[in-house]
Amino acid sequence: MTVSIALPSKGRLKERAIEIFANAGLEIILPDDDRSYKARVAGMPQCDILFLSASEISRELGYGSLDLGITGQDLIHETLAHPDERVKVEVPLGFGFANVVVAVPDVWHDVSTMADLDDVAAEFRQRHGRRLRIATKFWRLTQQFFSQKFGIQVYRIVESLGATEGAPAAGTADMIVDITSTGSTLRANRLKILDDGLILRSQACLISSKTSSMRSDVQNIIDNVRKSIIA
Amino acid sequence: MKISSKAILAETLLNLFERQGAEIVEIDVLQPADPFLDIVGEDLRRRIFMTEDESGASLCLRPEFTIPVCIKYLNDSNRTAKLYGYCGEVFRQHRHTAPAFYQAGIEDLGDSDEARSDARSLNSAVSTLRAIDHHSSLDIVLGDQAVFEAVLAALGLPAGWQQKLLRCFGEGEQMYELIERLAKPRPTAPLKDPIKGYIINNDFQSLVAAIDLEMRQAAISPAAGRTPDEIARRLVEKQRLSNIHLEQQQIATLMEFLKIEGALDDADRALGYFAQANNINIDAVLQQFGRRKTEMMRVGLDLKDIVYQAAFGRKLNYYTGLIYEIRHKGALIAGGGRYNRLMTMLDAEIPIPAVGFSIWVDRLSQLAKDKESVGEKL
Repeated sequence: MTVSIALPSKGRLKERAIEIFANAGLEIILPDDDRSYKARVAGMPQCDILFLSASEISRELGYGSLDLGITGQDLIHETLAHPDERVKVEVPLGFGFANVVVAVPDVWHDVSTMADLDDVAAEFRQRHGRRLRIATKFWRLTQQFFSQKFGIQVYRIVESLGATEGAPAAGTADMIVDITSTGSTLRANRLKILDDGLILRSQACLISSKTSSMRSDVQNIIDNVRKSIIA
Repeated sequence: MKISSKAILAETLLNLFERQGAEIVEIDVLQPADPFLDIVGEDLRRRIFMTEDESGASLCLRPEFTIPVCIKYLNDSNRTAKLYGYCGEVFRQHRHTAPAFYQAGIEDLGDSDEARSDARSLNSAVSTLRAIDHHSSLDIVLGDQAVFEAVLAALGLPAGWQQKLLRCFGEGEQMYELIERLAKPRPTAPLKDPIKGYIINNDFQSLVAAIDLEMRQAAISPAAGRTPDEIARRLVEKQRLSNIHLEQQQIATLMEFLKIEGALDDADRALGYFAQANNINIDAVLQQFGRRKTEMMRVGLDLKDIVYQAAFGRKLNYYTGLIYEIRHKGALIAGGGRYNRLMTMLDAEIPIPAVGFSIWVDRLSQLAKDKESVGEKL
């Protein structure tokens, strides 16, 4: 039976993923044509390696059309409505660290907690004739965090596909929910994270689809990666 | 050809509504999504079916009727008091139940006699259910947000706290957590200079100017969203409130209020005792409560069969007064309430009173069917 494994298709995440597999004894042979999105594993013809975008990997794992994949926890939780039923985090890989956080302009001196934000959101429409706008590409995480944890419902999400941290200055949103690793981009844009505004700690993980996580060939690969990470 | 029992029931319900004086309205299945997301909140997004038209505008399958019915009323040139009746499928994403189900109801719009229209709404819901199913036991629970609002005002709580508490009305656990939080002083994060100095010296103008400057430096337009004045005011208020907290007596009063429960028949007397014992004045709202009771008796509702719960409310922020639910063995069959704020949120130039109910037709149909089969067996 084929084991289909997806790795991030770009940049640093791709390099680290290939490295992780190499350390686990799974040497990935890249195709001669570097525009190709498929690769093989040396000595394991039953393995199919696919290079996909990290969010695509999350989605396909959720559908069960991939057996294994490397992607971030942030994208797993954003892409899938009930991740625990569909996928399993097998091995945290120790790179791609990022936090999903709630950030507001520094100049909002009166806002340091989600409770403050609740007040601001509740009054916003009356004051400004529109709802408070939050720029983010994480609408599901935002909505779960705001509604379920703090009972905040009255705001609008402005979908942002890049440079989210610039939205308040661009006037497209009042505040943001975004990923940050060092916080320097937020600081440069004069934004601050709310005291209780940490939505999710995320890192790159080896993740299996629940439809195939019990298969022994899949388990073997997981074990190898796990051992190489611990060692 | 076999006509489904649900289609027959829908027809029957519309006939009943017409007989009660309602004008039957048609609402498009495909609706602009914005009014729903704007009014109910972003939480609705994962529960509705959204799509886009060619121009990129967000559309959704109608998730409910109240908002589009009210928009229809506001678009009507003749805005006299009206009863609008509807019945049709609504669509919501739900993990364990079917995504499409029928709702039917009457929105009672523009009648300034609120006691009368409140009574008419509840009576209309009850008698419609009874016309379909005479026998099943129905539990009616009634609450009133206006009473809670009056209690908060009579306690003299800071305006921000009153709003916070109101937002939790009907949410048991959240409400108690909030009360607990407000019972302690809440130290605020240390402020930076010069902001800190302006606050200590009560120099509001300089505070606003400093915030304005900082905003411009961050390239945030002081006119596009939160204004320097707004931030300064809230900051000052927050500092002022950081040292005060709910007092024992106030907490006791709130807790006592939230526990009041009993037959509606006796509810205003219980509320009267409560107000007297706690030395607060909520006479105006009690008078309105009593007037509504009288109207309910007049239309023939049996107040002994209705349970009043002081803490019973609904989280949606457009409800303003009466709230009720009708259940059979725990299952919600119909719910209703007064939502005066909705019309203003939909940009009505003047306040327009509104009250209405919605019946879960599928559950009613099931109820009627169960009864039938019991009848057949006998």
